[in-house]
Amino acid sequence: MIYFTDGTAESFLTAFWLAFKDGESYITSTQKQLSLGQKTVFVAADGEKAERARKRLLSFDKNCMDDLSLLLRSGQENREQIANRYLHLLAEKKEPVSKMFAEEAVTEATECIRRVTFEIHRLHGFVRFMETASGALYSPLSPDNDVVDLLVPHFRARLTEYPFVLHDVKRKKAAVYDGKNTFLAPLEQANIILSADEKGWQELWQRYYKSVNIPERERLKQMRGYMPVRYWKFMPEFDSF
Amino acid sequence: MIDEMRLKILTEGAKYDVSCSSSGSKRKNEGGMGNGYAAGCCHSFTPDGRCISLLKILMSNNCIYNCKYCPNRLDADVRRVSATPEEIAQLTIDFYKRNYIEGLFLSSAVEKSPNDTMERLVRTVKLLRTQYRFHGYIHLKGIPRADEALIREAASYADRMSYNIELPSEASLKLLAPQKSKESLLLPMKQLAREKAVFREEKRKGLFLPAGQTTQMIVGASPEPDGQIVRLTQSLYRNMGLKRVYYSSYVPVVHDSLLPDLPAGQLREHRLYQADWLLRFYGFTAEEIAPENENLPLDLDPKCAWALRNMHLFPVEVNRAPLEMLLRVPGIGGRSAQKILEARRYTKLGFEHLARMRVVLKRARHFITANGKFYGAENETAVRGLLTAGEKNENAEQLSLFGTSETALSALTGEL
Repeated sequence: MIYFTDGTAESFLTAFWLAFKDGESYITSTQKQLSLGQKTVFVAADGEKAERARKRLLSFDKNCMDDLSLLLRSGQENREQIANRYLHLLAEKKEPVSKMFAEEAVTEATECIRRVTFEIHRLHGFVRFMETASGALYSPLSPDNDVVDLLVPHFRARLTEYPFVLHDVKRKKAAVYDGKNTFLAPLEQANIILSADEKGWQELWQRYYKSVNIPERERLKQMRGYMPVRYWKFMPEFDSF
Repeated sequence: MIDEMRLKILTEGAKYDVSCSSSGSKRKNEGGMGNGYAAGCCHSFTPDGRCISLLKILMSNNCIYNCKYCPNRLDADVRRVSATPEEIAQLTIDFYKRNYIEGLFLSSAVEKSPNDTMERLVRTVKLLRTQYRFHGYIHLKGIPRADEALIREAASYADRMSYNIELPSEASLKLLAPQKSKESLLLPMKQLAREKAVFREEKRKGLFLPAGQTTQMIVGASPEPDGQIVRLTQSLYRNMGLKRVYYSSYVPVVHDSLLPDLPAGQLREHRLYQADWLLRFYGFTAEEIAPENENLPLDLDPKCAWALRNMHLFPVEVNRAPLEMLLRVPGIGGRSAQKILEARRYTKLGFEHLARMRVVLKRARHFITANGKFYGAENETAVRGLLTAGEKNENAEQLSLFGTSETALSALTGEL
């Protein structure tokens, strides 16, 4: 049986609850997974079932909902199924399984979570703000995983006096810090008026980037390994390349 | 705003300093901008594969010293420029605000005198910390022969300081950097280590070099063998309490009859860093890593080389071996060792489990048994043959047994 969810945690937990007795279940939020000959069911979030599943799972491992939250943020298409297998094992063993690395379900979940948290770490470095005419900072990005709101605490702590917008242009939403509060909002397209100096600072940064390189020691493969090309498009240092 | 021409010259003068790390400081944002990121943070990578974490720049490239290897030495025919403390502070703030950098790495040529130069560096970091209320990372280069009081003041603002020992022996230093002496480099390091200890002991308020000290030496410009360099490194960690020792393989930017014309190999530098890791994270001593008068082998990493010299200790059983021994198995790093310790509490580990756990078995399989099974080569000669470079394809063949792609595994664990 294939269970389709709407991508939310509530819908996932409802599906998990329904699927648990099923044995050979597959949970997904991606329509592409539809295969012929398989029975399918569309699962709407059911608050009561989801809550029962949550309580049960938490009684085995008090951290499992944090794991689930990170798994569902993954950009991998099989994220719901990875979460399904991981939580299924937890429900079977009735004790925390997060360190049972010899289990395939645990390794898969660990790696999936690690890809999400690693991208958060990377973006702490790779985000590039532009200064707008109002003094607020704006950064467009298109992360692999759904993490813009998780970037906010880091930047808020260091740029307390500057309102900023982290715009996930792929998912068309933005994490906003208005100088006081933070919130998540849908955002299709942003019309940005840059500050008078912005271009000048970008040019200085480009100059710095070129000057600090040692051309005699070119190692492009290593460079791309550390900073995959998909992150380059929002970085001013690559504008002139 | 500093102009592009000076930014270029002052950056090019600073770029051979290899330290890029911004780790080790948990400085808080106490009103203003910036904070420490204990794990360190890379903001960009240049085509040479190095990370940009800090704005690495000189205050001035106008030098009264004449160190042979240095492009800014007194005799060199280069354009001389400098920046003001204001310009450096403004640049740091505006780069930091845009998240280009994690902080500042400030150094300088010795312009008039050591004290005069050190005073300008201190004035700049003080300006940043007090007027600009900047709490991001600051790595400050110490100027040899500056007064103790200036050094102390610098340390009260900086997160990390470094005096580069430049060359791996006193004799080479005399020959190539005659105006710097061993004492002029080691005394301030000792002073800072001593004062940091006092600061801690008296539990004083504020911060005193929270990210400690580092140093750097050029490898391949002078004749010291790796064995000697690794011993020096060990003594710097043990006696000076340094956080990191950096190596910079020699790049001939200056021609001088006392200097080699060819660059030192990058592989040699890489092997030294591997040895450095063994000292810091794997419980090895310099004596175990290399004989004093020898270089590290280039065709094998230093852990493999050690293991091949100590085959009588292997294979070890992954289900029983203590952490210290697991860490000595070639191919098993810190993360794999931890995973093995955790996973074996629940089940007896076989090779299929290790592969599933993404433990890299290419080298490890010659040195371990898993649940009594051994999949390594028959004898030492065969192991050596398989471990040395150029045998990659054959290894990949053998590993497909476990149905995992070897390159994907090493990419995941980051192990080289």
